[in-house]
Amino acid sequence: MDPTIKIDERVDVVTIFKRGGDIGSLCVPCRMRWRGREIDLTELALRHPTVQGKRMIHVFHVSDGSNGYRLEFDAEGLTWTLVAMMAEKP
Amino acid sequence: MINYGLNTQEPQVMHIDLNSAFASAEQQAWPSLRGRPMGVTNRLSKECCVIAASYEAKALGIKVGVRRSEAVALCPDFIMLETDPSKYTWMYQNLLRIMKSYSPNFKMKSIDEGVIDFHGVHRTRSMIDIGYEIKQRMKDEVGQYMRVNVGIGPNRFLAKMAAGWHKPDGLDLLDHHNLIEFYKGIELEDITGIADAFSARLRAVGVTTPLEFLGANHDFLRKRVFKSINGLYWHDRLRGYEMDAQPTQLGMVGRQWVLRQASNDDAWLRSCLHFLAETVGMKLRYRSAEARGICVWMSFNVGGSWSDKRMLRATIYTNQDIWLQVSKLFDQRPKHMLIRTMGLYLYQLTPSTRSQLSMFDDVAKADYLTQAVDEINDFYGSFTVFSADTLTGTQNVKQKIPFGGTEYFDLLLKRA
Repeated sequence: MDPTIKIDERVDVVTIFKRGGDIGSLCVPCRMRWRGREIDLTELALRHPTVQGKRMIHVFHVSDGSNGYRLEFDAEGLTWTLVAMMAEKP
Repeated sequence: MINYGLNTQEPQVMHIDLNSAFASAEQQAWPSLRGRPMGVTNRLSKECCVIAASYEAKALGIKVGVRRSEAVALCPDFIMLETDPSKYTWMYQNLLRIMKSYSPNFKMKSIDEGVIDFHGVHRTRSMIDIGYEIKQRMKDEVGQYMRVNVGIGPNRFLAKMAAGWHKPDGLDLLDHHNLIEFYKGIELEDITGIADAFSARLRAVGVTTPLEFLGANHDFLRKRVFKSINGLYWHDRLRGYEMDAQPTQLGMVGRQWVLRQASNDDAWLRSCLHFLAETVGMKLRYRSAEARGICVWMSFNVGGSWSDKRMLRATIYTNQDIWLQVSKLFDQRPKHMLIRTMGLYLYQLTPSTRSQLSMFDDVAKADYLTQAVDEINDFYGSFTVFSADTLTGTQNVKQKIPFGGTEYFDLLLKRA
């Protein structure tokens, strides 16, 4: 029924920080290493900020063309966490 | 040709409505959900309800309020997610930012709809052009899957009706040129604000269509149908005259909570209610108000309900004062009954005078403490400092998405 798979694991992420553009496309995660696999992220579907206490968290919903991933960037701790994923056909 | 006395001014009110807002936001975030019947609920459980459904789900008859089991019976592949308040609040903030850029006179009606009043605003383009631009900006600045309905009318009522005319992704203008044709094509119950009760009243006096409603004179509506000034308001509203621009007064603040499992465990319920009381206190102070009236209510597992109210001599403002009164009322409940839903609200609200110096030292100390705790929670996140008694409550009561009012989104953001 709820097709999201909770993961909550730290991951390596290659990110492009662009010089210009609107805020939605200034910072784009493009590749992630998770459990030894390298995954190319081809779509930034949605980015939104949230806060946990005074910590600013940027939430990135990205896709590799088949699976969707929820990545969170902790702007204070400078860490990337793969919070959840959803398969292509839930 | 009957002269209905319609408002012939240029339509300058725009109603913006995000289509299936929460479901669309999830479909935007998770590409694999796009084009699929799905919905969101506040808390996934066996018998939870759909609080927002995607258009694909609506096409199958799965609407807001449908239970999970009913939805799965209609569509075995139906997908249900839990709400993500920070996502929807961010969407709301974007909608607000876009609306603000067109006129200083705007008002959010709820988390997913708002009104822009262009009266007095210098425009170089038509309202329709601006409407299409807003639709495109939502796609460019929020996401390509975000669809917006835009309605334009001479008053708020007709702008809202226009926004609902062609869903999803519509843009319509209603004015004196097409209003009669529009009324001919809808039912009485399609009119915003005419629910079953008003519709029954109208039908009882022989008014069965929107056009007959429009044709009724104001004396008839006031004396025979609505039996109040509302009859006159409806007479003018239907013709496109503005009757809904007045700000509404804050009447009460409150919070309710549906228990996952019905309970009569006093200590557990008390902690959860204490937590609710603290969130209501935060809302009260956020609105810079004080309250004299307090009510605690609950409904039971086997049906039936209980409530008790108290009108106080002095106003209350601090969490300690609120909880003291709430706990006294809570003690009066029938203790053997298993509680399914409980809540409290504060009423008889007045603007806070706490910035004035108090004659009594203990009152001032309590105010300073409350102010200090609020400031800490404001900076470090809500419920960084809270009463130890509410610990169980903080772990059990989940933040929900508010429908209707949009006054507390800043508070909600801090809790996200």
